[in-house]
Amino acid sequence: MRHIFALIVVGTLGLGLFYTLSHIPFGKGLSEVSKYYVENAIDKNDPHAGATNIVTDIVVLYRGFDTLGEVTVLFLAATGLSVFFFGLKKKEYTCEPSLIVKRGTGIIFPFILLLGVYIFVHGHLTPGGGFPGGVIIATGVLLIYLCCRDYKAPHSLFKVIEGSMGTLFVIVGLIGLIVGGSFLFNFLGAGKTGELVSAGIIPILYIVIGLKVGAELSGLVKDTMEDV
Amino acid sequence: MIILNVIRVYAGYFFLIIGSLFLFLGPLGILRFPDVYNRLQAGTKSTTLGAISALFGIGLLEPGWLGKIVILILFILLTNPVSSHAIGRSAYRSKVPLCGKSVVDKCEEEHIYKEAK
Repeated sequence: MRHIFALIVVGTLGLGLFYTLSHIPFGKGLSEVSKYYVENAIDKNDPHAGATNIVTDIVVLYRGFDTLGEVTVLFLAATGLSVFFFGLKKKEYTCEPSLIVKRGTGIIFPFILLLGVYIFVHGHLTPGGGFPGGVIIATGVLLIYLCCRDYKAPHSLFKVIEGSMGTLFVIVGLIGLIVGGSFLFNFLGAGKTGELVSAGIIPILYIVIGLKVGAELSGLVKDTMEDV
Repeated sequence: MIILNVIRVYAGYFFLIIGSLFLFLGPLGILRFPDVYNRLQAGTKSTTLGAISALFGIGLLEPGWLGKIVILILFILLTNPVSSHAIGRSAYRSKVPLCGKSVVDKCEEEHIYKEAK
């Protein structure tokens, strides 16, 4: 009976969604926003769009305010989870991690950090950017937790990095507002596309986002693995 | 020089085919084998060899990428066995049983994980 009811609910929802969405034109010509992106980012009419792919230009330059919102959402989620985990007794491990895992972690950990930093520093040249880079750094911290039972992560350092990077993001945006008249205006210019130091504020913002996300998720890993 | 190039290209294709064969056999083993330990063997040993061989084949076909590919191969050699070791060890320690057809259990015989039992 419950299954039939669930099937009816899902079927009605699916049909309703399909009926509603089928009225929205899809793939028929470009919308206003798409035209703007095509003219400015793809055809390089905009002297400020300097990333090697259009997605980075859109995500960081034209919709940088959105990205600030995403960072805020991640911050709120991490804060909520740490509140949830506060005072919760964590699982006790019955045995030590094996020697092979410990040695392997010791070798691989610096390279994980290096890869994370590489990904967010090259955010304007390669696919990737701040969020994946930060997540990779956090996986490195998780690996340390898995192989050293008595490891304590520097919690206050994470908080300092997180807060200062969030502030720096807003400051960069406000400088754009003062110089160019819009929040997150690319006041440095595009530079030569394809070089490491180019694309104006995009690498700065990606480094900021990468450090912030890395610190945030590392703090989250700490909250889930340690007794607070 | 041309002969060397031809050998290089054919060796590249050879390694690619070997790699894809092992990458195919790994998932097949995961489907066919009876218990965790056998499946772990299929899932990690064959993918280690398959990925390394396929990457090396690509490196031979595109010599400009060989440096990066050597780094990738080192990474796989370092991480894949370690992670499969960790999975197998934790499975044994949480007392996942061997399948009925297995006849040898060296850890049991030599009391390696005796304190956990």
